[in-house]
Amino acid sequence: MLTELAHAEETLKRIEGHKGVIGTIIVNSEGLPIRTTLDNSTTSLYARLLCSFTTLARSTVRDVDPQNDLTFVRIRSKKQEILVAPENNYLLIVIQNPSE
Amino acid sequence: MSTSVAKEGKKMRCAVMLKPSKRGSNLLALTSRRSFTFSGSKILDRMAGPTPRQAVRVFDEENNDVTPQPFYRADLRAEPGSRFLVDELSAGSTSDQTTFTGSFTMPFSRSVLDSSRISSQSTTESVNEEMEETFCRRDFPFNLPESLLPDEKRKKGSVKEQMTQALLKGIKDILITETDTISLLDIPPTLVSVNADDADVIIEINKQYSEVCRNRRNNEKYVDRAVQTLNGATKNKQIQNNLMLMVDTATIVSAFEMYAPPEQEVMVYSPEMKQTNDAETIVDSRRSPERSLSLTCSASTVISTCSLKDVETVGSSLNTQVDSERIMTSDKFQFSLLLMERTVLRNNFQSQLAAYRKLPLLQDPDRLVKPKEKEQSEAETSCSPALQCLWVFSCELSRGCRVSSMAWNKKNPDLLAVGYGETDYRNHGPGLVCCWSIKNPMWPERIINCDSAVTTVDFSSNSPGQLAVGMCDGSIAIHNVQSTDNKSPFISSRECAKRHLGPVWQLRWNQQELSFTGEEKVESLYSVGADGRICKWFVINGGLDCTDLMKLKKMNNTLRKTEQNKPEKTAECVLSVLTPGLCFDFHPSDSNIYLTGTWEGNIHKCSCSNGHQFLETYRKHFCPVNCITWCPLHPDVFLSCSSDSTIQLWKQDCINPLLSFTSNQPVGEVRWSPKHATVFSAVNEGQLEIWDLNSSFLDPVIVQPAAPGLKMTSLLFASLTDCVVVGDSDGQVTVYQLQNLHVGESSQAIHRPQPRKKNKSCKWKSDMKTNKTTYAKY
Repeated sequence: MLTELAHAEETLKRIEGHKGVIGTIIVNSEGLPIRTTLDNSTTSLYARLLCSFTTLARSTVRDVDPQNDLTFVRIRSKKQEILVAPENNYLLIVIQNPSE
Repeated sequence: MSTSVAKEGKKMRCAVMLKPSKRGSNLLALTSRRSFTFSGSKILDRMAGPTPRQAVRVFDEENNDVTPQPFYRADLRAEPGSRFLVDELSAGSTSDQTTFTGSFTMPFSRSVLDSSRISSQSTTESVNEEMEETFCRRDFPFNLPESLLPDEKRKKGSVKEQMTQALLKGIKDILITETDTISLLDIPPTLVSVNADDADVIIEINKQYSEVCRNRRNNEKYVDRAVQTLNGATKNKQIQNNLMLMVDTATIVSAFEMYAPPEQEVMVYSPEMKQTNDAETIVDSRRSPERSLSLTCSASTVISTCSLKDVETVGSSLNTQVDSERIMTSDKFQFSLLLMERTVLRNNFQSQLAAYRKLPLLQDPDRLVKPKEKEQSEAETSCSPALQCLWVFSCELSRGCRVSSMAWNKKNPDLLAVGYGETDYRNHGPGLVCCWSIKNPMWPERIINCDSAVTTVDFSSNSPGQLAVGMCDGSIAIHNVQSTDNKSPFISSRECAKRHLGPVWQLRWNQQELSFTGEEKVESLYSVGADGRICKWFVINGGLDCTDLMKLKKMNNTLRKTEQNKPEKTAECVLSVLTPGLCFDFHPSDSNIYLTGTWEGNIHKCSCSNGHQFLETYRKHFCPVNCITWCPLHPDVFLSCSSDSTIQLWKQDCINPLLSFTSNQPVGEVRWSPKHATVFSAVNEGQLEIWDLNSSFLDPVIVQPAAPGLKMTSLLFASLTDCVVVGDSDGQVTVYQLQNLHVGESSQAIHRPQPRKKNKSCKWKSDMKTNKTTYAKY
């Protein structure tokens, strides 16, 4: 257990250190951010908005084909790219500025 | 009571002198006069204590101070709003006997104070603010309902909560409850169904009424008349209240949020119920019916989800910590992290990866293209063959370690195993094997720490997850890279008695057909070591054991002439000392035949079935042969490179080399290109050379010098793309892309070699060309 936690922490730190990554947020199933590298207001904003967006995306995928499921969400905008890895009990959000 | 009566009686008798004061005298005089006029009532209960202000003082004949005291002695400097008349009376600070009387005199004083209040209002210009306040405050207790509890109120009033910073910042739980519904007006609707019994009657009445309304205007029966209502006098009342803070919150709810699909609920429910922690299950079981609600309300603010139940608020705050632990240790989270890291890196390395995979390069439309970049890209479109560095596999673990060998995975062409270790005889430090993936150039997928410096790695074909690692101390370990736990190898040859006594210089997995069946391919591990033995390994009792395939005996040490016309084939051994074998390679189609290169510089062709004699010996090199490799596209040709800075091209049945190429430094490795039959690459300490035999025999087509201070040590071709992977002495593995390598058409003039060589080489070249087309599908 402990090594898994350490491994997860290490990988997360590595991701945060990659080029262009602005911040990472982990949100639990209720929409509460449990770990973040951004400030509070931005974190709560992203958590709230992306929770509902991911739910919409997942329901879209499942409506089209009920045996399908959502694995990854990428929102590419002019200034940044928002990457969301959704699961049943958490959301892993990374915001990256790819064109640097 | 009696005392007050007595006092009044005394007053009546005496003449009283009023001494007017500076201000507010009118009022006080008024009041005092009033009080005197109403002296029939026993209100005057005198506070003998000092008053804050004494505007008028009344003395009787005997100079006793008989100034009527205000009924309510307001200590205005203290908290004004919290003092009550009753408190003052009952405080007993000055008058003790008056408590009882005070309560009795209250109803009487009411009329007094009321009138005095009116009087105060009438004389507004001389109103003393404080007095008015006093009177107002006197009104206070009488306006309160009967349920007055003096002590409690006093305590509440006096204890004022100190608003501290801490309190302001802390989270306050606000309990919102709903009161009972208060009906202010309830007129039940008078609707009657059409099917009721008396419906007809009602319809008739309605009709009549509507007719009346219609005829009302011009009908003489009805006359409009106005009436004035009598409105009572309004009275203004002012009260003071605390400011109510209003907070606006809003949320967006869409249709999908209102419905939670039943399967989702079940899926979420079941893992929660498996928790063995009791407190958690209690909270969760109470939360699960709410979970659908919380899922759907996830867009709304947190407060709304938490305020559903008291238990829930407590539970959720406690569970955040546990949640984070639980989430971060789950397998799915590890996978999400892996996916996320690869996606982030793919964004960063998009152009390089696209070049590697030979995909068209996409331009990001939102990216600001600087004018300098544009010029550079235009200038780079030259036609000469070149190497472009795509990226470098490097991490802090491998920094400083020398790359000793590399191997591609047979099944997953993106996985590259790199062995690190100092293979000099001086230091035998620990070794490292990193499995890198093309998808993540920044961090290896697997890290395997080895006890000794790693000299060679090879992936198995039959079971693609098995990686054989040969080390400097002679041991061989087989690791399973599919498992993330890489503490201990799958199998190790440490305990084997017949293991290599010196460093294992090369390992190979080879599939051999069993002669009788001809179909099964049994794969075995072969190794060549510094002790001069070539061994075949197999698994016994959970460990490795080997059988000797060949012993490399030292050959005759007579001086050999460099002419190629000496067909010496002495297989006699002068000394029975074994010479270290440095490399070997199996024939691509006939897996029984293999070549091995020795420390002496000889190359022996051997067979697996014959363990005593060499089939053939090729002599040309006079320094250790570092690498031997068969050409994958042509069956009989192989290359060898050696520390004497030469590369020799041989044909199987010819004991003299067909071609030799010179380099400026000892050549470490040489590899054939998997695509082009005439292209091969060699690496020596100072540079990487790409040779194209179509263009030139004397010079390499592309020369890439090593970065200053670095020595290139290892080389591999990438199988599906035209890229070359080079390892160096600093632990970096660089991926180069071959560009503009036009094979098949030569733009340069070919130097004509010597006639003898020419025949052979021309023949060989034509062979190669024909074979190239045959094998072009590779």
